[in-house]
Amino acid sequence: MIEEKIIKKNRLNAMLQELSKEYSIYIPAGENGDFRFCELRDTNDELVFWDYRNTRISPKEILFPHSEILYEFSRDESHQFSISQNNDDQRKMKNVILGIRPCDARAIGFLDRVFIGEPNERFVDPYYLKRRIHTIIISLACNRPQISCFCTSLNGRPDGEEGADIIAFDIGEEILLKTVTEKGKEFIKESSKWLGNVKKSDIDKKNKIFKESAKRINSRVSVEKVKEKLDDSFEADFWNEIHRKCLGCGICTFLCSTCHCFDITDETSADRGKRIKCWDSCMYPLFTLHASGHNPRPNYKERMRQRIMHKFNYCPENFKELFCVGCGRCIRNCPVNLDIREVINQVSQLK
Amino acid sequence: MINPYLPLPVKVQKITIENETKDLKTFDLEFCDKNDAEWFKYTCGQFAELSLLGIGEVPIGIASSPMDNRILQFTVKRYPIGVVSSTLHNLSEGDTIGIRGPFGNGFPMKDFEGSNLAIIGGGFALTTLRSLTKYIIHEKNRSRFGEITIMVAARDPGEMLYKYDLEEWSKREDIKLIRTIDREVDGWTGKVGFAAPVLKEISPSSGNAYAIVCGPPIMIKTCIAVLLELGFKASQIFNSLEMRMKCGIGKCGRCNIGSKYVCKDGPVFSYTQLEKLPQEY
Amino acid sequence: MMKEIETRIKEVVKDLFTQNKIDLFIGYSKGSLPLTSSPCFITKSEDIEKLVWNSFCSNNLAVYLPRIFNPQPRKKEKIELPRIGILAKGCDARSIVVLIKEHQIARDNVFILGIVCQGMGDRKKIRNDIEITGAEEKNGRITIVDENKKEIELKREELLSDCCIECQHATPPIHDILIESGNQRPAAPKGGGRDFEKKSIEDRWNLFQEEISKCIRCYACRQACPNCYCRECFADQTKPRWIGVTDHISDVMFYQIGRIFHQAGRCVDCGACVRACPMGIDLRVFTHKLVRDAKELFDYEAGVFLEEGLLLATFKPEDKQEFISEP
Repeated sequence: MIEEKIIKKNRLNAMLQELSKEYSIYIPAGENGDFRFCELRDTNDELVFWDYRNTRISPKEILFPHSEILYEFSRDESHQFSISQNNDDQRKMKNVILGIRPCDARAIGFLDRVFIGEPNERFVDPYYLKRRIHTIIISLACNRPQISCFCTSLNGRPDGEEGADIIAFDIGEEILLKTVTEKGKEFIKESSKWLGNVKKSDIDKKNKIFKESAKRINSRVSVEKVKEKLDDSFEADFWNEIHRKCLGCGICTFLCSTCHCFDITDETSADRGKRIKCWDSCMYPLFTLHASGHNPRPNYKERMRQRIMHKFNYCPENFKELFCVGCGRCIRNCPVNLDIREVINQVSQLK
Repeated sequence: MINPYLPLPVKVQKITIENETKDLKTFDLEFCDKNDAEWFKYTCGQFAELSLLGIGEVPIGIASSPMDNRILQFTVKRYPIGVVSSTLHNLSEGDTIGIRGPFGNGFPMKDFEGSNLAIIGGGFALTTLRSLTKYIIHEKNRSRFGEITIMVAARDPGEMLYKYDLEEWSKREDIKLIRTIDREVDGWTGKVGFAAPVLKEISPSSGNAYAIVCGPPIMIKTCIAVLLELGFKASQIFNSLEMRMKCGIGKCGRCNIGSKYVCKDGPVFSYTQLEKLPQEY
Repeated sequence: MMKEIETRIKEVVKDLFTQNKIDLFIGYSKGSLPLTSSPCFITKSEDIEKLVWNSFCSNNLAVYLPRIFNPQPRKKEKIELPRIGILAKGCDARSIVVLIKEHQIARDNVFILGIVCQGMGDRKKIRNDIEITGAEEKNGRITIVDENKKEIELKREELLSDCCIECQHATPPIHDILIESGNQRPAAPKGGGRDFEKKSIEDRWNLFQEEISKCIRCYACRQACPNCYCRECFADQTKPRWIGVTDHISDVMFYQIGRIFHQAGRCVDCGACVRACPMGIDLRVFTHKLVRDAKELFDYEAGVFLEEGLLLATFKPEDKQEFISEP
C-alpha cells in the first residue's frame, strides 16, 4: 500500500532536528543556483533547496565518494603488513538523502546494479553496500527542469519514483510525501508524529504542478534504436569525427550520475599508508594503459567510443538499462559543448 | 560479508629466475594463515591480484596447479614502467605480500574432460597453461583427459619458461611436447620457427579436441588462423586475455572488451565469444 | 558586424579549400545551448556553412594543434603533417606563438585566420538560477529569454569574460590573414585584479586553499589549456608518483600549484582553464599573478613576439631576483 502524508515546510526543521540524532542528513546546499549535496550541520538553517534546479555534481558522491579509504595499513621492511579498516566516516550509521531529483535517484538504482548486483552476485562492493543499505532516499519531484534536461527520453519523469524510498512533492506551503518502498514506509511510520493526512485538494495540486513540469521538458532524443545501432557500429567512421572536439577531460564522467568507474591507489608515508578507491574516467589515457606500454584505447576516439558504448550498449547488454538518466550535467558543463543528445541522435541515424 | 578488496597475507617461500634476461621470476607463495589457504580454492586459468601495500596491485594468472596444496605460484614479468612488477622483482624470500582472489572464470575443465587437448603457449604467457597441464597430468586426473599436445614457443632457449617442467614433461609418454625457438641456436634440439608454421607442421587433430592458445597478440592471431585451417571450430579454441585491471571483480570498469569484463567474464574466452567482441585489446 | 565577420570567415575558408591550401579548418559552430559556440572541424567545403562568429566563440582553439602534430601514442611511421587552417583571436594566436616557440607545431602547416577580437562573453556571468532558454545577439546587445519567456536585455560588455575585459592583445600577433572588426573596444583598463596581490601572504594562501578545495580533479583546466601538451603530465606519473590522486586538499593543491606554475612565462591569459572548470574555481586569480609577474619583473608577455626567446629559457644579467626571496 502506498502511503501519502503531508508536512508543512516550516515544521520540517523540527523533524530534521530529531532525525539528525540518528541520521546523517544530506541536502542540496548552496547559493545563486549553485548547489551541491552537503551534510546538514545546523538543523536550524532555513532549507533553501525547494526550488533549486539540480546540483552541479551528482549526489552519487554521497554513496560513492570521489575518494574513499578502503583500509589503512602499516608495513615493515620485509613488506610484512597489518591492515586496519577505518570506520570513522560511518559516525552515524544511517543516512537520509533529502531533495535528490528523480533522475539522480534513478541513477542510484543503476549504481546498485553495478556495486551490489543480483542477490547471488559473487562479489559485492562492501563499502557501497554498507552506505546504501543504511540510506533512505527521499527524492524531490522536479518542478524546475532545465533546457538541457531530457529525462523523459530515457524512461524518466520529473515525478518518477524509481530509486527513491519516498518521493516528496513541493506543493507550496506544504510537502507531500509519497512512499515508494517498504523502507520508505517504515521511515514514514517512524516520523508519523510530524506528518498529517493528505487531502484530495493536495493531490490535485500535486498532479497539476507536475503535469506542468513534464510539459516543460521539451528536449527529446530518440533512444529506441541506440543499443541496436551501436551493436554494429564499433568500427563505424562516425567515431572518427564525433570525438574531434573532445578535450579529454573528466567533466562528463565525474559529474555524471551513472558513471561509476574507479581507480584503486595507495598513498604512503614511511611505513604507513592507505589504500584508496577514487573516481577514474574512461576519458583518461592512463585508464587502460598496460605496464607493457600497450594501450587498447590509445586515442581520444577509442576513449570517446568507450564512454558512449558503455552507457548505451554495454550496460544495456549487462543490466538491461541505458546508463543515462538525462540529467543534462554533461551537456551543461562540457567546455566544448559536446552535447550527448547530438551524439545519441547521430548514432540513431547511423546506417 | 567478504570484502573482496582486502588482501590476504602470503609469505614468499621461493623466488625462481626463469629466463636469461632475468625479467621473469616465479614466486612461490604460502598463506600465512592456514584458514586462508583453505578458503582460497582456485581452478586452472584463474588469476589473482598480487598486492603490495603502499605500492599497488597487479593481476597475474595462477601458474600453480589446484592440485599443489599450500603453494601458490605466479610468474611475473618486470616492466620498466610497471611499478608493482618492479617492486615484486626486488622482493626477497621470506618477505610478505598480499593476495586477492581467486578471480575470473578459469578454463572450462568439465568441457575439456574426455577430449584431446592442444596446449599452445608463447613467450611468458605459459603461466596458466602450466597450471592447466600440471592439473591434467596429475595422477588423479590424467585418465579423464585424452591425448595432450603441448607446444611452447620462445624467442630463444634462454627465454623458455619453466625449463624444469618442460624437461620432466618431455620424458613422459603421455604428452607430445614440442618446443620451438625463433632462430637457429647451436645445440638446440627442438624446432626452429614461429609458433604458427610449427603448429601447422605438427597439425594436431581437431577431432574431439580443444585448443588453448596463450601468447602475444600476433601469435594468438596467427595460431588461431592455423587452427581454423586444421578444422578446429571456433567453439573448440580458447584464449586467455590480459587487460589493465584494478578491482578484479567487475566493478571498476576498465578491463572490458565490449560488454565483457576480462576480470569477471574472462580471462578465458572461447574464440566463438571473441569473434563477437570488438577488437579492442 | 558579427554577421559580416562570419561571412568573411566563410569566404576565406572557402578560398583555402578551393585553392587546396588546407586539409582541415578549425573554427566555431553554433552551440547546442544559448550563449555557447562549439569548436568545429571542417574538412570539406560543403560544411563551411556550419561556421559561425558571435560573442561566445570563446574556446582557445590552439589547444587542438599539439595533438594533431604530435599524435599520441607516437606513430612509428613518419606521418604526413596535415595543413590546418585555424581561426585565431588575439589569445588563440598568442597560444600559437607559444606553441611554435616551444616547437610543438609546424608553422608552415598552419594557416592562421586572425580576427581582431571584441572580447568574448561568458555564460557563467549570468546567475546560475536563471534558466536561459534562448538568446539573441544584435548590435552589441544580447537579449536572453528565461524559462518564463521573460526577456532580459544585456549589454555585450556585461557578459565579457574577466580575461577579455583586461585583454591587451585583441589583435592576433601572428596571422596569415587578418579580419578587422571595425569599431574598437574601449582600451582595457590596465592593472586590474590586483586585489589578490595586495593581500598578505597568509590571506593569499587562505584564498588559494578555499578556492582550490572545490577541485574534483577532472583535469578540465589542464585539458583545455593549449600550454598543457606534456606527453605525460606530472600529475599522472606513477614512477615516481609525485602526487596522490584523491580530492584531498593536499593532493589537489599540489596538482594545482604544479599546473599553475608550469604556466609561468607561458600563460597568455586566455581564460580557457577558468571557463572549463565545472566547479567554478577562479583559476585566473592565480595564473594572472604569474602573467603580471612576468610583465613587471621581466617586461615579458607570452606569445606576443615570435622572435623573442622564451622567458624561462632566457637569462639577462639585469633580470630581477628579488622574487626568489620575497614572493
